[in-house]
This record gives sequence, structure tokens and C-alpha cells, in this order.
Amino acid sequence: MLFARKWYLLVLLVLFTACGNNLSPSGDDKREPVDPGTIGPGVGQNAPDFSVSDIDGNTVTLSSALSSKKGIVLYFTMWCPVCDAHMSHMLDNTIPSFPDIGFYAVDYVSSSVSGARSSAASSGFIGTPFTILADLDHEMLQGYDATMGTTVVIGSDGVIRMNEDYKDGSKLKDVLSGLP
Amino acid sequence: MKIGNKLVYSIIVAALIMGAALYQARPVYAGSCCGGGSPANLLVPKYARAVFDISFDMELYDGFWDQDGKHIPDPPDSDLSQYRLNLGFAYRFNRRLQASIIIPYVWNSNKYSGLSSHTSGLGDSSLSLWYEPLEDASPWRIKTLKDMVPSVNIGPSLLIPTGISPYDDVENSFDVCGRGFYRIDGNLLIEKTLQPWNLSVLLSYGKYLERPVNREYGKYVEPYDKAPGDRISGTVSLSYAYYIGSGGDTLTGSLSYTYLHEKDAKINGTDMAFSGFKKKSLGGSIVYSGTDSDWSFRGSWSHTIKRDGWGENFPSTDIFTVGVRYAFR
Repeated sequence: MLFARKWYLLVLLVLFTACGNNLSPSGDDKREPVDPGTIGPGVGQNAPDFSVSDIDGNTVTLSSALSSKKGIVLYFTMWCPVCDAHMSHMLDNTIPSFPDIGFYAVDYVSSSVSGARSSAASSGFIGTPFTILADLDHEMLQGYDATMGTTVVIGSDGVIRMNEDYKDGSKLKDVLSGLP
Repeated sequence: MKIGNKLVYSIIVAALIMGAALYQARPVYAGSCCGGGSPANLLVPKYARAVFDISFDMELYDGFWDQDGKHIPDPPDSDLSQYRLNLGFAYRFNRRLQASIIIPYVWNSNKYSGLSSHTSGLGDSSLSLWYEPLEDASPWRIKTLKDMVPSVNIGPSLLIPTGISPYDDVENSFDVCGRGFYRIDGNLLIEKTLQPWNLSVLLSYGKYLERPVNREYGKYVEPYDKAPGDRISGTVSLSYAYYIGSGGDTLTGSLSYTYLHEKDAKINGTDMAFSGFKKKSLGGSIVYSGTDSDWSFRGSWSHTIKRDGWGENFPSTDIFTVGVRYAFR
């Protein structure tokens, strides 16, 4: 029957034209070891330097951020609902427990410092423990191979301890607790 | 009833069923940050053997609700949208059993003041099976108890993760066109036609299948297991069919209300406390179908109220859809 044949063909088309690895996902650990001492976004590498402005116009660099801190957290935001949920969760559940850590929200979608300030204000993050950074040239976005929700932890020695999606925040807490 | 009248009657009933029940906007999880895909109901009317459907969605983003239900605007000077071309085909195996498939192709367009991105790819596809244990006679007047019987369709659907997901080899969140998970839904569609009115209720309960994840936005990470939360949705729709002239052409207008709730996701079996979402939306549609009902054309609008309390942890959007459908006899 012609219709039935077309139907089966369509089903097969769906099954075999899928792009991506979602039809049969893998749980294999495919992380490649990194060379300690090299500069890069990987866990174990030295964090790439950066120099950007916060929303108050102050220049923030990697070394200035790390000074007098046990480490820093960089959270990459585009002010979306997922980002909002992550940042709110961090405010309530993580930041109060780690006063020696610097928490930075990296805005990589605004074209100006004032735009980043407006976004932070409309999302309610002005006046919170987050320092909002305006990554206008995507220096940090590219240097840390980041995207929405990427959470980077850098120890006081400048070594990256975590670089992955925030998820439920439990790994962030674990990593921060393990900082010397 | 004479055969001629019976035929006309059947055509009218079929047109009503097509126009009113089949074009309900179903809640979708399609966001620039959240993946795409556009499952929608696709049922073959009684008189036909199969249906081919093509539609185009334009989803415009306008802020979001935070986890407390407060509506937050998008960043200044941002323009976020997603477009979907949906190809659907449904086939009737017999009087009560039919199946359908919908394959969307997705275009993401995201413009911020400091960044813009245009990506595209296949969205998540869906397969559905419908069984109709009860049929509606769709009378003009209720004369007997039998005339009160609604039509009931039940059946499962399977969302297939054919779209590019955050767990694929992508560069960033803007590349995402699908969620990356299989989902099995149980669907119940009840509708009653008392011409020219039609009232329908669609209820769905969906369960995502857990999958291993070893990559996020292209970066390999320590493997873990993840499953989005169970999904509950319901749509109530009221339609009115207006007969144009004496030729049998119909114009059917529908209003609908949709509630969608997805519970918190689980990672390695543990709840992610802030990952679920809720969304309430209102919809309107107009369907034109010709005398023979083989061709029909539609336009619809799904609207979310951009005020506090109409959603949680989810983007607020307007979805405009135009579509055309052909029924094979």
C-alpha cells in the first residue's frame, strides 16, 4: 500500500537523518588530560588572563580578582531564565558559605558597560555579592571556552579547578570546599 | 438519511473536527536557550486516509519569568526569535487507529547589543499513535443520550531527540535546536461537537528517559546521568464554525488556554531544585476549509501574558503560525 510505504519511509528518515549523538548517547569519559602549566580553559591549566570592566567602570584582571581571595568563580550569563535560576541559587545556597571567594557574573551579550548595568538591574542583581563584568570583546568568553551557564572556578594559584555547566550547583560547592 | 445528505453531513463533521480539534496549539519547549521542536496534534479526519501538513511557526521572545514567577525583561536592545518549519504526516490504519509523525526544522535568531547568532538545524521529532474508543456523532441538536457522547482519543507519543542538543558537538547555547532526550507521553483528547460549537480538552503526561551525558556544549565533562522532570500539560479549546455562503466552506475560530508544568530535572537521581518550569498561555486560531475539506488553511497565535504569575522559570513568547493541510481520501 502506497501510503503505508510512505509512512514507513518517513519513520526511517527520522531515525537515520538525526544529526547529533542523542539517539544513542554515550556515557564514556572522553576528557583528555591537559598539560599542567599550560594556559587554557581546561581543568588543571593556568587560567587565561583577562582585563575587562565591571559595571561600575573599574578594570578587573585575573590577578586583581584573585588578590586576597582563596579563589574566584566566573559565571557566564546572558540574562536568560536558566542563568537567572543559577545565579539566584548561587546567591542563596553557595555564596554565603564562601566569604573568601570572589563571585563574578560575566555578561557577554551587552555591547557596553551601561548596557550590562541595565541588564543586571532589570534582573535584580545590582547590589548583590556578584561583581558584574562586561565582557564586551568576548575576551573571557573565548578564553574560557564558555557559553550560557558555564561556571569556572580558579584557585588562588591561578589554576582552573572547574569549567562546566552549573547544573544544580553541587559540584561548584564541592570544588570550592576543596580549595586550599 | 439519504446518501447525499449523509455525505454532506460527514464532510461537515470532518471539517469541524479538522478545524476545531486538530489545530490546538500544544505547549512546546522551544527557546533560544532551551532547545526546540514543535510537537502538535495531527489527526486524520474520519473521511480521509491520510493527512499531510506543513506549517511555519514564528516564535518571538519577550522576557521570562523567574523561579518566583516574576516577569523579567530581556536585556536592552535584544531581539530573540525562533522559526520552525514543521512537516507532518498522519496515516489512518482503520476506523479507530492512526499514527502521525512531525519533523520540525528550526532556525534560531538571537541578537543582543553585543552579540548576534543565526543557527539552524533539525528539531526534535515526534511520533504519535491515536486510538479512538468513543466517537462523537456531532449532532446539531441533542435529542438522545447518544448525542451527548464525546469523541475520545487516547494514545502515546514519542519525542525523538533528532535535534542538536547541548550534549552534542556544539559551540554554544545558540546552536541548540533540541533537548536531547527521548520523552514518552500519554495523551487524552476529549471533544464534544454540538454544531457549530466544539469543546475539546487535551491532557498529556510525559516522562523523559534518563540518558548519560559526557559533553556539555561541546566540552567533554565528567559523565553523569540526567533526565528532565515529568511534564504535565492541559489545553482547553472552544471553537465555533461559521459556514460561508451555501457552498459548504467553513471558517472555524478557536480560543484556547494551555497550562504546562515540567517538574525538576534529576541528575544522577537527585533533583535539581530550580530546573522545573511552568507556563500558561492563551491561543487563538482561524481555519478555513473548502467545501470538500481536502485543503485547509490556518493561522494561529499563542500568547503568554507578560505579567507576574503567568509562568515560572521560562521564557515568555508569542507564537504565530500559518499552515496548510491536505487530506488524502
